[in-house]
Amino acid sequence: MSQMTGASSLVASLEAAGVDVMFGIPGGAILPAYDPIFSSSIRHILVRHEQGAGHAATGYAQVTGRVGVCIATSGPGATNLVTPLADAAMDSVPVVAITGQVPSVAIGTDAFQEADIRGITMPFAKHNYLITNPADIPRAIAEAFHIASTGRPGPVLVDIAKDALQAMTDFKYPTSVNLAGYKPKLVPDNQAILDAAALITQSSKPVFYVGGGVIKANASRELLELAQLLGAPVVTTLMARGAFPDSHPLNLGMPGMHGTVAAVTALQKADLLITLGARFDDRVTGKLSTFAVNAKVIHADVDPAEIGKNRFADVAVLGDLKNTISALIPALKAALGKNQPDLTPWLRQMNSLKAAYPLGYDKPSDGALSPQYVIERLGKISGPEAIFAAGVGQHQMWASQFVSYENPRTWLNSGGLGTMGYAVPAAMGAKVGAPDTTVWAIDGDGCFQMTNQELVTCALNNIPIKVAIINNESLGMVRQWQTLFYEGRYSNTSLDSKRVPNFPMLAEAMGCVGLSCEREEDVDATIEKAMGINDQPVVIDFRVHRDAMVWPMVAAGASNDDIKIARETAPDWDSQEL
Amino acid sequence: MAQHTLEVLVENSPGVLARVAGLFSRRAYNIERLSVGPTADPTISQMDIVVNLEGHALEQVIAQLDKLINVISIKEIVPNKAAPTVHDTQPDYQN
Repeated sequence: MSQMTGASSLVASLEAAGVDVMFGIPGGAILPAYDPIFSSSIRHILVRHEQGAGHAATGYAQVTGRVGVCIATSGPGATNLVTPLADAAMDSVPVVAITGQVPSVAIGTDAFQEADIRGITMPFAKHNYLITNPADIPRAIAEAFHIASTGRPGPVLVDIAKDALQAMTDFKYPTSVNLAGYKPKLVPDNQAILDAAALITQSSKPVFYVGGGVIKANASRELLELAQLLGAPVVTTLMARGAFPDSHPLNLGMPGMHGTVAAVTALQKADLLITLGARFDDRVTGKLSTFAVNAKVIHADVDPAEIGKNRFADVAVLGDLKNTISALIPALKAALGKNQPDLTPWLRQMNSLKAAYPLGYDKPSDGALSPQYVIERLGKISGPEAIFAAGVGQHQMWASQFVSYENPRTWLNSGGLGTMGYAVPAAMGAKVGAPDTTVWAIDGDGCFQMTNQELVTCALNNIPIKVAIINNESLGMVRQWQTLFYEGRYSNTSLDSKRVPNFPMLAEAMGCVGLSCEREEDVDATIEKAMGINDQPVVIDFRVHRDAMVWPMVAAGASNDDIKIARETAPDWDSQEL
Repeated sequence: MAQHTLEVLVENSPGVLARVAGLFSRRAYNIERLSVGPTADPTISQMDIVVNLEGHALEQVIAQLDKLINVISIKEIVPNKAAPTVHDTQPDYQN
């Protein structure tokens, strides 16, 4: 045990927790901590906006599986972290946020830069702390990392009063964490596994409904084995792209509002959903009362509150998914030995749908650049090891649809909260976590204008990400809804971003290479040029057609049965045997 | 609808009442009656929460409450033991 300031105790605790990098900005209340940070082994990346720090921590965590760390001062510094922390909560990302707070005597007095960040983050943070006694710092940090990274991962905030950072204290980092009210169940009950295996053998139309939990649990290899053992089709949600290889013949693609016809129909017509780390989100189920009405449900998750939240589970399997799937494989082998259902007709139907309704797009008739084509080429040229981070909107859906994901942790996006501006800072964090991997931010022109300031951080800190702006000079997804549901009244969705800003010049001003492309024949050469630049961030302004739409689509609140493959065009169900 | 009482043991830490009350508010559940008192262990308090919920909604409240780190245990006091578990779906999302 040694005497030091609370600030030094904080930094020593972060070092003891294994932190190698954090993203942040100093300010008055957190200033004491920045002095020991100056001489710490932890790399601190000075961002340009705290929101960037939060999403960077998320991107880092998504790619590495480790806890991402961000740090900010009190008041506005802390409130600027609110969006990324809410984002991390919705997508179950392990993030620890450290914030400075005004001195404890000033708390509650409306002091300069005072904001009740513990109260503000209470509704969505997995947990949070307000520390006023320096002796509590090591325990709070140890607990924060434990809570963030175990069970269902999530964000934890530790708010520390300035006087607690300044006072002298003894430093002793706890060797173990024991929380009476937090004991996540990681090993599934054997009976639940047996029940699940038995239910699977009674099914002639099973589907693996795979969510982001499979990636969080690092259970992709186990999933592959399980899926091949049963030979049932697999759908991967927006958060699970890459959990199961897109190239695998059993993969039907993404379900949901912009899912493939085969994936959406497989869930609708199934007699059993083998749900692994997914949460029956409204973007997947469509109108809940018409979702998969004939299906029984096996729901495997680490979070007990997800079981039965939106959909009744016939068999609930509570536990870490790696443990669950590992236990299910031998149980299913044994059960299949006694009763092997014939899935051939079901697979034939699904493969016929997959063949009849592949993802596709029409190129604009006026010769303008097709956004889907650009994204497809980005995926092809960058290869299956590359990491893609998307913003939110049309480009996000196309990036999910038209890039082929073969590996987990190669697709990052804001799935639950839908945070525009996620891509650039998340790509920055991803590149810090995987410096030898190509990292693309596929961003919209609207999203890009929300958080592009972090390209300065990238340029100055040798974080050479690549950004593809899919510039349709609009808030494209909102515009698509205006086209479909508001009679084409384009209220406030035109951004004029082919006129202002000049994205390549903006990129150059921030220390990046700025490129532009608006003809299909230049797409490959432009991407290849960007692939050749690895000492600087690169930004490509792809100037695409503004009227391209995302298809297929299930309208919000509609039934998945009403999926459209183009405007007012349903699949030709009569030609399908279902 | 039958009233159910939840006996919730919580860590006696600042903000724990706000966490519990906030959870009910955020998930759009009503609290009929709430009382907080000490236990023999000064680090632990007991909350008695009376709710007008049953079946699926009650299960959800309990599961969500249990996720709060400061909540140690939850006991449900069932008014009449015949209360069945009904799984009615939640309203469909319209946004």
